[in-house]
Amino acid sequence: MIAVHALRHRYGENTVLALDSWRAGAGEHCLILGASGSGKTTLLGIVAGLLRPSEGRIEVAGEDLARLSGPALDRFRGRYIGFVPQKLHLIASLNVEANLVLAQFMAGVAQDRARVREVLAAVGLAERLAAKPEQLSHGQAQRVAVARAVVNRPRVILADEPTSNLDDAHCAATLDLLESQASACGATLVIATHDQRAKSRFATRLELSSRGTS
Amino acid sequence: MNLPRLSLAYLKARPLNTALNMMLLALGVGTIALLLLASHQLEERMGRDARGIDLVAGAKGSPMQLILSAVFHIDAPTGNIPLAEAKRLAQNRAVKRAIPLALGDSFRGFRIAGTTHDYVSHYGGELAAGRLWEAPMEAVLGAEAARAAGIAVGSKFVGSHGFAEGGDEHGDYPYTVVGVLKPTGSVLDRLVLTNVESVWFVHIHPEKHDDPKAVLAQLREDEQEITALLIQYATPIAAATLPRMINSTSVLQAASPAYESARLFRMLGVGIEVLRAFALVLVAAAGLSIFIALYNAMEERRYDLAVMRMLGASPGKLMRLVLVEALALAIAGAVIGLALGHLLTEVVGGMLAAEQQPAVTGAAWLGSELWLVALAAGVGLVAGLVPAWRAYRTDIATTLAQN
Repeated sequence: MIAVHALRHRYGENTVLALDSWRAGAGEHCLILGASGSGKTTLLGIVAGLLRPSEGRIEVAGEDLARLSGPALDRFRGRYIGFVPQKLHLIASLNVEANLVLAQFMAGVAQDRARVREVLAAVGLAERLAAKPEQLSHGQAQRVAVARAVVNRPRVILADEPTSNLDDAHCAATLDLLESQASACGATLVIATHDQRAKSRFATRLELSSRGTS
Repeated sequence: MNLPRLSLAYLKARPLNTALNMMLLALGVGTIALLLLASHQLEERMGRDARGIDLVAGAKGSPMQLILSAVFHIDAPTGNIPLAEAKRLAQNRAVKRAIPLALGDSFRGFRIAGTTHDYVSHYGGELAAGRLWEAPMEAVLGAEAARAAGIAVGSKFVGSHGFAEGGDEHGDYPYTVVGVLKPTGSVLDRLVLTNVESVWFVHIHPEKHDDPKAVLAQLREDEQEITALLIQYATPIAAATLPRMINSTSVLQAASPAYESARLFRMLGVGIEVLRAFALVLVAAAGLSIFIALYNAMEERRYDLAVMRMLGASPGKLMRLVLVEALALAIAGAVIGLALGHLLTEVVGGMLAAEQQPAVTGAAWLGSELWLVALAAGVGLVAGLVPAWRAYRTDIATTLAQN
């Protein structure tokens, strides 16, 4: 599902990411580990098509991302990638339901409110459809962000530091949620984290060394 | 969900800012609409009142005052002229038709004009009830005057001296209403018409219950005066010769309604231009305000924009979102402004009507108002361009990774 070959990313003179080879299969759940500054977020950005790498090949869902034009890449991302950013960035002007419909609208897929309700029910927020993000607890907001990432049934779900600043109970609940939702739509799940608590749960791990910061 | 709805959600999220921007734009557009409506309607109305009257002859004084009093009935007359002089002028070969006007009194603020039946037919007046006047002290009311005074055929009324309400009443010499005219949309609607002799009769203060015909028969020729003569030329050449002839060789003064009303609009025009410029400054300020609001909003919303890109939106879609927002704001402001302009025009019209002046109405539409909406939309688009470009350029990966 994800295949990386000889990937390098630089900001100016600084190489922030160097990854010779990495694969993640369809439906696989894997962890990207590394200290901050090791290029985890950069790698997620490249997989999501938010960033174009300085060098190397990246294939997602059988598409060579370098071959997609800007708008095609945007469409591809909307259709096949679900992203849970570290700061959740829910749209404050829209209620919970509209935040999910927005994901359908921006991806250019049919706006299906039944699907929105189904996903919100799956993350346990069926009652909070009309709530504004500011009325949610952090845990609820995170569940909305996960729901937003899976509403379009993506092939790949990317989560950036989903468990930072969470206590052990919430950490486990969040990882449970991500895994169950990824399994529900058969998506490959990639979690970037420096949280050692997540380590034991995932068999597939990619360790990034912090060479990039030099 | 679509772009307009999304824009609306953002506009609603900042209600004060949105209201301020719409209000600024609405004030500008409303002022322009008021000026357009009022000046268009006044110009049209004055054009209708002056149509077919090529020249007015009256007592010497201000030509503008002569036109205002004798054609539009909104100023005091310059004085009276001897009937004999007027008759001589009316027989000039350059004159096709001459209508006499004798002014001086009013009834509840509506002027009483002594004239001939030609005056009614000149404005295309038709009777709604009764008949035209035949004898002294018979009166026919214009539609608006009859409506405001609430009197019908057969009733009697007395005129008061001068044109303001509350002048001395000629209590001993009541007029009898013999007819009421249909509305014509001209000055005729606001007049009380009678014959010239009635005006003479009232002003020579005869003994009570004297027979008008007997009194008038004794009137000396030098007591027979009228206020003005409305003249239609027999040939276009008359325009070149007749005014000069009148002004230089008689005690009369000639003034052209077309020339004087053009002069009036030129003078008013300065004021209208200043107001219009002020309104345009308001519209420009609204544009600037929309620009600043959106520009700052882009800063606040850079995460939202990055998230939308993350969810699959192309940069072009974000650009359109911002432009739709600016456009929605501008068009809403313009529509509110037009409503405001029409409301203000109606209010001003009501105030003018209370003064027995030609009224304007807010219930009329002009094609140029669509241009106002287009102008506002253009201002909105221009104001939205730079913020839209900023949305277009949002660097998503960096923004999303920011803490």
